[in-house]
Amino acid sequence: MITFPGPVSALVTLPVAPDRDGIARVLELERLARDALPDLRATIPAFSRLLIEGSPHSWDATEVESRLAAAAEACLAETPRIDAGDPVSLPVCYDPELAPDLEDVAANAGVDVAEVARLHSRAAYAVLATGFAPGFAYMGDVDARIAMPRLATPRPRVEAGSVGIADRRTGVYPAAGPGGWRLIGRVPSALFADAAERIARFRPGGSVRFRPMDRDEYEAAGG
Amino acid sequence: MSPHGVVDRPGPLCTIQDLGRRTGRRAGLAPGGAMDQRAYLWANRLLGNDPAAAALEVTLGGFALRFAVETAVALAGADCAATLDGVETGTWRTVRARPGQVLRLGYSATGMRAFVAFPGGLDVRTAFGSASAVVRDGWPGLLGRALRAGEPLRWGDPGRACPVRRVPRELVPPETASLTLPLIVGYEWAEFSKADRERVFDAEWTLDPASDRTAGRLAGPALGSGPRVLDSTPLVDGTVQVTGDGLPLVFMRDRPTIGGYAKLGSVDPVALDAFAQARPGTPIRFARADSEAIREALARRERFFMIQDVAARFPTGKRVFSNTEMSLNRGRRER
Repeated sequence: MITFPGPVSALVTLPVAPDRDGIARVLELERLARDALPDLRATIPAFSRLLIEGSPHSWDATEVESRLAAAAEACLAETPRIDAGDPVSLPVCYDPELAPDLEDVAANAGVDVAEVARLHSRAAYAVLATGFAPGFAYMGDVDARIAMPRLATPRPRVEAGSVGIADRRTGVYPAAGPGGWRLIGRVPSALFADAAERIARFRPGGSVRFRPMDRDEYEAAGG
Repeated sequence: MSPHGVVDRPGPLCTIQDLGRRTGRRAGLAPGGAMDQRAYLWANRLLGNDPAAAALEVTLGGFALRFAVETAVALAGADCAATLDGVETGTWRTVRARPGQVLRLGYSATGMRAFVAFPGGLDVRTAFGSASAVVRDGWPGLLGRALRAGEPLRWGDPGRACPVRRVPRELVPPETASLTLPLIVGYEWAEFSKADRERVFDAEWTLDPASDRTAGRLAGPALGSGPRVLDSTPLVDGTVQVTGDGLPLVFMRDRPTIGGYAKLGSVDPVALDAFAQARPGTPIRFARADSEAIREALARRERFFMIQDVAARFPTGKRVFSNTEMSLNRGRRER
């Protein structure tokens, strides 16, 4: 489906699930759209959607729609070539003192805290979207056993490096601020100190792994 | 290096702004940029600057700048009863200053934001091709915070011969007691109830005092919250989002790049300039917009302010994201 949310923009929603395969198809659509529409100023892929922004000097909605429709058809026709690049590996300390929702998530799943850590850290996640804040990545899918909806009332302050779960998604807060995801672990905050590094860490379609670290290791890394 | 001027008083919120950044949009960076782009562009044009030269955005006034060199500045936007050593200067014009003189902006009576531009643009750091400060994004230095009292400033070409220029009276935006925002319907528009869709164009809201550089929030009649949006969706400038309380907000320059609530569409980007100058309590209505007419107006504006080559500044080739874009560049932007 193609809609026009602004005077020089188009939003394509692909009929795909918002998962690893879905974002791979959206990224393929992005590549095709950039080839087919030479005057684009920005493209933003997120989950099953792609936003493109063009130039007011060359934008022709009819032409854009037909070229995007052809590109959408093409990216749906074949299995996408998944180029996840090198996986990003982040150390996580799964400790209830650092992660206020860890015990609730464990209780909800009927397992102990160590099993939550094992289930969360054994998967390789795909980055399905970036945004909300610079350097924040929505990753999926979390093992269904430890999936939980976000808090009804967001916390006014979540520390930088906090690892959260919201339904089947997981993510790491790049900076301190309000947040409603269930917090199950903490990445050492030193990994979020540099703005450029923090912003560049994740890209849509990329692959991410979490490596459990114990509390001593976490403290040694600067906490 | 000695400063060309020192900010004695920054007022409630004084930040460095330009046309904003586009390349970081994909990584979740706010566009940033001057809230009232028209006033900002006029200030640079009066000095013969690059249209994207870094300038000061002074919120509500209460600002003082002491000059250390002989130079000129340009003032545009909210009328803050500017004075130079106590003599009224007027606004929408260039002002010549000598070393030791102090430019003061009082508190604005009508608009929200005044712009002070400098010959050659402020000499400041950039990130992702822009000097715009976005406090929320946590950038280092002046890219991520407001100016403080005593802040030293340098600009590109303080000694440039700048004739006294004024914006022609007929081109100075009129003060308006109320605003009608042209709305391009889109996003989840069709999934709002019929009653809500009618109410959007019938109702009158007022601008809420909680509005800021991220969004203008509207107070007044609540809509239904609209359809549940399962995944956050990429936003455009001026996107109108309806939050859980049923009240619309209009996303401005420091907006996020994706949003998770139901959206009605987006406001004409040109109309966001007047919206940026609206005081809390200003009555706000929406009117149906003609998307093609807005595109033409955008193209006219870019030609008038000579920013048609703006795309060249924001490389959007296949290499959409690279580490080189991350470097924090010091120095003046290329011309």
